[in-house]
Amino acid sequence: MKLRSHLYLLVAGALAPVVFFAVASAALLVQQERRAMEREAIGRARAAMSAVDAALAGHVTTLKALAASKSLAAGDLRAFHDESQRVLATQPDWLNIGLATSARRQLLDALLPYGQPASFGGHDGSFDLALSTRQPVIGGVSVGGAIGVEVVRVLVPVVQQGEVRYVLSAPLRVDALGEVLQAQKTPRDWVIGLVDRELKIIVRIPSVAPGTPASESYRAAVTQSPEGWFRGSTLEGREIYAPYVTSPLSGWSLGIAIPVATVNQGAWRTFALTATGVALALAMALALAWFIGRRIEEPIASLAKATHAIGRGERLAVPSAAPMDEIARLAQTLQKSVDAMREREDRLRLALDAGRMGSWEWDVRTNRLAWAPELEAIHGLAPGSFQGTLEAYAERIHPDDRVYVRAAMTAADCDEQYLEYRIVRPDSATRWLESRGKLVRDPSGKPQRVVGVCMDITERKRSEEALKETSRAKDEFLAMLSHELRNPLAALSAAAHVLKLAQPNEVPAVKARAVVERQTKHMARLVGDLLDISRLAMGKVALERERFNLAEAVSNVVNVWRSSGRLERHKVSATTTPAWVDADRARIDQVLSNLLDNAVKFTPAGKRISVAVEQQDDWAVLRVSDEGEGLPPESAERMFDLFVQGERGLDRAAGGLGVGLALVKRLTEMHGGTVSASSTGRGRGATFTIRLPAVLAPAARAPQPEDGPVVPPRRVLIVEDNDDARQMLHEVLAYNGHDVREARDGASGLALAAQSTPDIALIDIGLPDIDGYEVARRLRASPGGRRMGLVAITGYGQAEDQRRAYEAGFDAHLTKPVATERLKQVMAGLQ
Amino acid sequence: MIKRLLVVDDDADMRLTLKLALELAGYAVDVAGNGREALELQRKQPADVLITDIFMPDADGFEAIDAFRKEFPATKIVVVSGGAQFSRRNYLPDAELIGVEGTLQKPFDVDTLLGLLNRL
Repeated sequence: MKLRSHLYLLVAGALAPVVFFAVASAALLVQQERRAMEREAIGRARAAMSAVDAALAGHVTTLKALAASKSLAAGDLRAFHDESQRVLATQPDWLNIGLATSARRQLLDALLPYGQPASFGGHDGSFDLALSTRQPVIGGVSVGGAIGVEVVRVLVPVVQQGEVRYVLSAPLRVDALGEVLQAQKTPRDWVIGLVDRELKIIVRIPSVAPGTPASESYRAAVTQSPEGWFRGSTLEGREIYAPYVTSPLSGWSLGIAIPVATVNQGAWRTFALTATGVALALAMALALAWFIGRRIEEPIASLAKATHAIGRGERLAVPSAAPMDEIARLAQTLQKSVDAMREREDRLRLALDAGRMGSWEWDVRTNRLAWAPELEAIHGLAPGSFQGTLEAYAERIHPDDRVYVRAAMTAADCDEQYLEYRIVRPDSATRWLESRGKLVRDPSGKPQRVVGVCMDITERKRSEEALKETSRAKDEFLAMLSHELRNPLAALSAAAHVLKLAQPNEVPAVKARAVVERQTKHMARLVGDLLDISRLAMGKVALERERFNLAEAVSNVVNVWRSSGRLERHKVSATTTPAWVDADRARIDQVLSNLLDNAVKFTPAGKRISVAVEQQDDWAVLRVSDEGEGLPPESAERMFDLFVQGERGLDRAAGGLGVGLALVKRLTEMHGGTVSASSTGRGRGATFTIRLPAVLAPAARAPQPEDGPVVPPRRVLIVEDNDDARQMLHEVLAYNGHDVREARDGASGLALAAQSTPDIALIDIGLPDIDGYEVARRLRASPGGRRMGLVAITGYGQAEDQRRAYEAGFDAHLTKPVATERLKQVMAGLQ
Repeated sequence: MIKRLLVVDDDADMRLTLKLALELAGYAVDVAGNGREALELQRKQPADVLITDIFMPDADGFEAIDAFRKEFPATKIVVVSGGAQFSRRNYLPDAELIGVEGTLQKPFDVDTLLGLLNRL
């Protein structure tokens, strides 16, 4: 029920007793009025009757005076006749004067000459009444005399000597009485009438023939009581109320007929007034109720509208102005709740945004699908452009996943949904989505709607894929590692077999030794790469930076490769312009070597490989381009990841561990540089670009020997427990013209040093008795030890080992297997 | 009696050392860098035993084996591979499945290979 209906009910309840009392008092008032009117009407009838009585009494008095005339008392009838004629002349209402004996003999007629016999006429019961009562009597209406005029007779008995001797009578014209009634001035629509004892009408306004019997209702009322008030109808049949009175003088009655309408008019007016009042009160109350209702309803309605709008997610302010404190309070409370809700919503939205999430709601009954703006954004749609149908939704889903999504959505008894599927955005980008939904049922358990959130999980999917890829790459790597290490071992093993059987100077032995040399170097490089990559991964590589011209360094490496014959299958060109860098030269050589190795591996024989160095702004740029297999664009970025290689089948020719480019990347990044790979497509070759921060060229350049440093002959001491390593070093140094001594452990090394005072000592760290650090310390402490060049040789080459080596007094540090070039450089540095 | 061998390996040093070792043992040895080359050689001068690697360019070892089976059913086949046991790239069990006369994992002792050849 509406608020206004409540107010109307309140008004009705409050007004009902008022109406009741109003009607009751109106009824009472009407009743009192009616009584007053009745009394007044009866009074009026009485007054009229009195006027009639007075008129009659006048006639009786005149006639009585004539009855008392001396001539009649003396019996002189002649004189009395004259006297009567004189009196008659003064009474215009009298038609005649007659005198009769008590024995009803007419003695005298004033209209006739004296002595002429007159007839006794018109004497009804009233004559006997006059005789018996000896009182004047007024008779009924009759037609009197020869002229036929309606009259009433006034009879006066004349008593002489105690007996009634005569009766004097005068017929009175009823017109005279009519005038009396006329004088009452009753309203025109009323009736006033005089009725005789026989209940015949004497005179009436409006007139009827005298002698006409009075109306039935009148007769009934008069018969019942001499005076009163009744309701009846007139002779004409009009409904009336009538007061009436009866005169004791004449025994006549007089009635006044008032039309019912006139009587009720007052009542009607009262009722009308009451009704108007009640109606007015009611109308005012209702109007007030309506108005107040509106004043309450309007703010409530606007609050409801605002709440609804807020429910729809529109940002509407709650209307705060309200005519009633309670509603204002309600509005304030609502505003507070809305603010709190918005805050939560904002937080949720932030969370959804952060998680690239959007909410949705699917009405199962109408099949409408509502999406939050975030969800449209996830689908790459403009806000509000989603049409909200399942078809529009299906269109966005990746064709391969549509059937799956449809089936999962319509799975009947599924209270919780979980879906992972792909969509295709309008820009044709494919994204992975995860959708979770909860089914909401109505109280009877029928599915109503499904609400849920949807999340863009593309990144997660990608990293999952990448993880899988990494794991796969690791497996590949291990297989490759196994293969790459077993292959040279197999060759070495076969070579060992040949060396065991063949004569040392015959061709097979020579060939086998060459194989051993090559395969050892190959394996050393493989192991070196592996160790490098793991040391780099652990951040244990320290750079030995120096300022040098990248162009020169690159030319050197290319020349070394060329002279080793490793580039003979390809057309290799080097275009360099000076670009100076502050970098670890050996590492930069390694970077270029790996790039060249990579280019050689993936480029078919006869194709071109070009190396270029130039300075671009603040960068020294090294480019290695080939005409090889090229890269699929999507994997260009990943080429630098560990264990990843260009796509290869079982028939791959490339080999290698797939760590070369990873090394390139890490080493370059350690120098503050960047790497990139690009390709114009499969079979079109690839370009690998290294950018290193460029530095200014030094003002004066020290002349650089063409073929590496030349070291003058020195006395060199080798302290190394591994026979092969010791011998290798011995041979290399002896070949270069040095005077070489060797020791197998620390103690003999120290003894030898004391004896021969070498210029340079190459000391292995892992010695059987005292370690290399200790040997170095003791040598430094020995006489002449201060000037001695000390070089540490370790199998690790980690930053920590280098630091310890320098702390122990070493001048330089070499890692196994010791490269001849590096050894030369180090020894040159110790001059 | 086995006299002529055909060694197929993509690694030149491997080919060379095996050839040297087997020649020392008295066999006549031809070498090829891939399956295609091996087939061509075999057509010119058929060998009694094919000693082949699995990982190779142009045609992998399995393809070479298939081709030999069809064209030279009498030629015996020994597979050598560096595949690791813990990885998916272990081809030796596969080679055994297709019924070659012998399998060897790299690195192997040349004497083992010679013993195998003797048994054939």
